[in-house]
Amino acid sequence: MRKANCICSAVMTGLVFCPSLVGQTQQSPKASPKKVGNDSVHTIVLPQYPPEIAAGPHVDTYRKDCLICHSARYVAMQPRFPQAVWEKEVKKMVDAYGATISDAEQKEIVEYLVAVRGASESK
Amino acid sequence: MERRQFITLLTAAGTSAVAQRALGRTAGFSSEGTFPSVGGKTQANLELVRYPQKTDLILLADRPPQLETPLRYFQSDLTSNDAFFVRWHLSGIPTTVDSRTFRLEVSGHVNKSLSLSLHELKSRFKQVSLVALAQCAGNSRSLFEPRVPGGQWGNGAMGNARWTGVRLKDVLDEAEVKAGAVQVGLRGLDVPPTPTTPLFQKSLQIDHARDGEVMIAYEMNDAPLPMLNGFPLRLVVPGWFATYWVKSLSSITVLDQPPKTFWMDKAYRIADNPEGNEDPQHLAAATVPVSAMPIHSIFVRPEPGEQLRAGTSYTVQGVANDGGSGLRRVEVSTDGGQTWSDATLGTDMGNYSWRRWQLQRTPRAKGTFNLMVRATAGDGQTQRTSQWNRSGYQRDIIEHLVVVVA
Repeated sequence: MRKANCICSAVMTGLVFCPSLVGQTQQSPKASPKKVGNDSVHTIVLPQYPPEIAAGPHVDTYRKDCLICHSARYVAMQPRFPQAVWEKEVKKMVDAYGATISDAEQKEIVEYLVAVRGASESK
Repeated sequence: MERRQFITLLTAAGTSAVAQRALGRTAGFSSEGTFPSVGGKTQANLELVRYPQKTDLILLADRPPQLETPLRYFQSDLTSNDAFFVRWHLSGIPTTVDSRTFRLEVSGHVNKSLSLSLHELKSRFKQVSLVALAQCAGNSRSLFEPRVPGGQWGNGAMGNARWTGVRLKDVLDEAEVKAGAVQVGLRGLDVPPTPTTPLFQKSLQIDHARDGEVMIAYEMNDAPLPMLNGFPLRLVVPGWFATYWVKSLSSITVLDQPPKTFWMDKAYRIADNPEGNEDPQHLAAATVPVSAMPIHSIFVRPEPGEQLRAGTSYTVQGVANDGGSGLRRVEVSTDGGQTWSDATLGTDMGNYSWRRWQLQRTPRAKGTFNLMVRATAGDGQTQRTSQWNRSGYQRDIIEHLVVVVA
């Protein structure tokens, strides 16, 4: 289990309520964040987790083009899929989610995904 | 309550396969009663993490966060705020909100645009409260066979809470909706990671938005919403999947024509037939947006891998819900569907809430048992025995649970 770090900057100290500091010691639903001073500004600091990036062909393209929008866990959590499914997913990122990835790089990314999370077509 | 011993039924799933799988994850049972892996990890290796204002939740993804509620939190009527699941679509999620300067904008096809502070919203409109289940359309996606891409949720992408806020209808009435309005567009504070990525926007038909039930909530279980669940305001669309429950709601736009938005036109759609079903080899040509939740039930106890003892009484527990007609009946089978017994229903907190159920049994024989649960809604709908769609939405199949009695 890892815990989120909540870092209240010096500027915000006293203005911000810092929920995760409280949350680490109290887990009941009543553990509402302690309010320090003026509680109008609500701030959280999102935890950072080491990326789970499997080694594979064109991993640099994958890092550059995919991880701008989402972390590598979006791939790491997937089951194994045949190439056709991965091609569709990459195309969806470009056509639907507006990722700007060249055709050549899309092919490289599919190759990477098939290498790390691929399955035979017969599945 | 009628008592009956488990009838021994050996199933295809072996004891060892069950025992190898882990405790702790929200029940992940395919229709065969087995446990799917997530990213090649066994259930045991799924990582628990603690985000701000949250207790330990299952980490599916971190940017944007997708955090699943462990099954044990479903043993109470209301899901505590710190255990409530988290799912955002765009990595630019709000991490700072100044409740003094925050404004909810209401504009578009209205006579009077509004820019409401939180104080104005709370003081100018009547406060209402409702218990309702928020369930991700992709809840239980990891259980579909063949597997489908997307967030690989077990059964923990849902939570039941008491929502307090104001009626969307009252706010729209204050803005004076003009004749000819057809839909209401809804947007939150989250922002896309790149300029070419579509904003997260949802919409409701104008009549739905004005039905007096859709709510703008500022409290969840009598406390402000956690930031990760949509502080300071969240739309509550009772009975509908949570994709419509826009978090950190900041903009309401009344529209005189249907909008063209990715999140309505391309995403969160399901095959256009009564069951939303399709064949992996022949995908449906026509699709419609997901909407109301179908009748649905899951096991909460036993948990995956939990062993029962022969001769010792055990209370099987779970939750069931539908999209608003209420719950008529929950039946449990301990013999793979040959015979069924009525479970006892728990507290009725209204038709939009889930309802807990339980059934006490004493397994006499050692062995492997195939438990099943099926619910019947107030409107007579029952659960089905097979289901598949390409996106893994609205899973509502009769759940099987392979249990080892030692």
